[in-house]
Amino acid sequence: MNAMLDIKDLSAGYGQVQVLRGLDIHVDEGKVAVILGANGAGKTTTMRAISGMISRKGSITFRGESIIKTAPDAIVAMGIAQVPQGRGTFTDLSVEDNMRAGAYVRKGVRADVDADMREWFDVFPRLRERRQQKAGSLSGGEQQMLAIARALMSNPKLLLCDEPSLGLAPIITQELFNVLGRLNVERGLAILIVEQNANLALRIAHNVFVLETGAIVASGTVEEVANNDIIRKAYLGY
Amino acid sequence: MGHLLQYFLNGLARGSIYSLIALGLVVIYRGTGHLNFAQGEMALFATFGAWWINDHGVPLWISILLAAAGAFVVGGLIEFSLIRPAGKKSPFAVVVITIGLFQAFNSLSGLLFSGAATGLKFGTLFPNKPTDFFRLPGGATWRYENIGVLVTVLIITALLFLLFQKTKIGLAMRMVANNPESAKLAGVPSNKVLMLSWALSAAIGTIGGALVAGVNANVNLGSMFNVFLLASAAATLGGLDSPVGAVIGGLSLGVVESMVTNYPKNWLGSTYIGADTAIAAAFVIILVVLLVRPSGLFGSTRVERV
Repeated sequence: MNAMLDIKDLSAGYGQVQVLRGLDIHVDEGKVAVILGANGAGKTTTMRAISGMISRKGSITFRGESIIKTAPDAIVAMGIAQVPQGRGTFTDLSVEDNMRAGAYVRKGVRADVDADMREWFDVFPRLRERRQQKAGSLSGGEQQMLAIARALMSNPKLLLCDEPSLGLAPIITQELFNVLGRLNVERGLAILIVEQNANLALRIAHNVFVLETGAIVASGTVEEVANNDIIRKAYLGY
Repeated sequence: MGHLLQYFLNGLARGSIYSLIALGLVVIYRGTGHLNFAQGEMALFATFGAWWINDHGVPLWISILLAAAGAFVVGGLIEFSLIRPAGKKSPFAVVVITIGLFQAFNSLSGLLFSGAATGLKFGTLFPNKPTDFFRLPGGATWRYENIGVLVTVLIITALLFLLFQKTKIGLAMRMVANNPESAKLAGVPSNKVLMLSWALSAAIGTIGGALVAGVNANVNLGSMFNVFLLASAAATLGGLDSPVGAVIGGLSLGVVESMVTNYPKNWLGSTYIGADTAIAAAFVIILVVLLVRPSGLFGSTRVERV
């Protein structure tokens, strides 16, 4: 079976600086994949390359279609939504406008968008309470929830999460991964997560990739990786 | 008291024009963070265009709308062909280019429209016979023309507000203004939005230029210079990213200008304090406001919790 997102020999970087050097990653339909890696390994660059935010070489196919030359807006429209590192909420816009912003690529009628917004407000009730508030006034955890809800508003088939736990209290992080896990189990949403917080991420993941200085050095199912002593010591800390 | 109200109303009329040019500045600044130094001269050029169309027998208001449509296209092309490539290299390059455009549009106006230096006669959209005014209690008069200018500005402000707050394209403009990176990730084609900002700004400027010309009954190469100075001051005062701020900033500067020009004249019975005092006074106010609130009266001081 072909993977939903198939990345082969991906290289990308910024100007003269090459960050990714021949990366191979795949995400299967309905599964959660996690990329583990230290600071500077190229995790965020990988995410930006998938979304088309930086120029890239190699091969990226999504459901059989190459997206290596596709522009960011078209990639979102195809069903790949990214929750960027540092949340990337529209701080001056209200929570509701942030949600509408997420639905920007949808061609449908406003009623559908409103219906979806109600549905996601059921999943994230705290956002409903604050729907008229400026996003910038939310707490870090609420902003992260908003960033995820906003990405979901585009009706994605694949959700990219760039270090969702960054800067959040442990209890919030836990809640966050519970939500992501539920999205995957209950709705069959495929998710690619980049994380330093390996323990939590692995709890909901199916496949794991270990990224070091721009290339994948190990990969496999969660069980395989957890049984690998070197990886366990380096990334799980026990 | 009659004087106070009169000066206030006169000031509102001047101020509404500053507001309109300031609005144009704000529309571009919100999207790109660039201050378009050519805003006034682009408006001037378009106003000459409206004069030219009108001179060929087209009714004035249609001429102005046609010129605004032309400016819309030219504004978009300027963003596409000059600002965008330069902006990729350095923000300073954009500043230099808009200063260059300032000079270019002024010279081009002089070159294309003979008589531009001394001035061409420009009609007005509103009744402006000496007797066209309301008499208000206390003896002040409110000229129909001044009311017309103010109402025009308020209508354009309201339309802009609706565009920004109620439409999808307006949402896209606010997204790009607030967080270009996230806007791109949400699928907004930022380039098109920025192009639209320039186009829109140029069209708004045209209306502003035509109103200036209408009130002066004349358009010449120097028409927009002081107007632009005060409009940029108004935008700074109101907060460069706030349309409401631009309007309120413009109106208040107009009123300040009117007071500062007229009251000393009354008290001292002479004119040795000239109209230029107004500009000095305006900038003193701005200096004080910016010392207290660096982002302007209505500009967004970013609320952010992390």
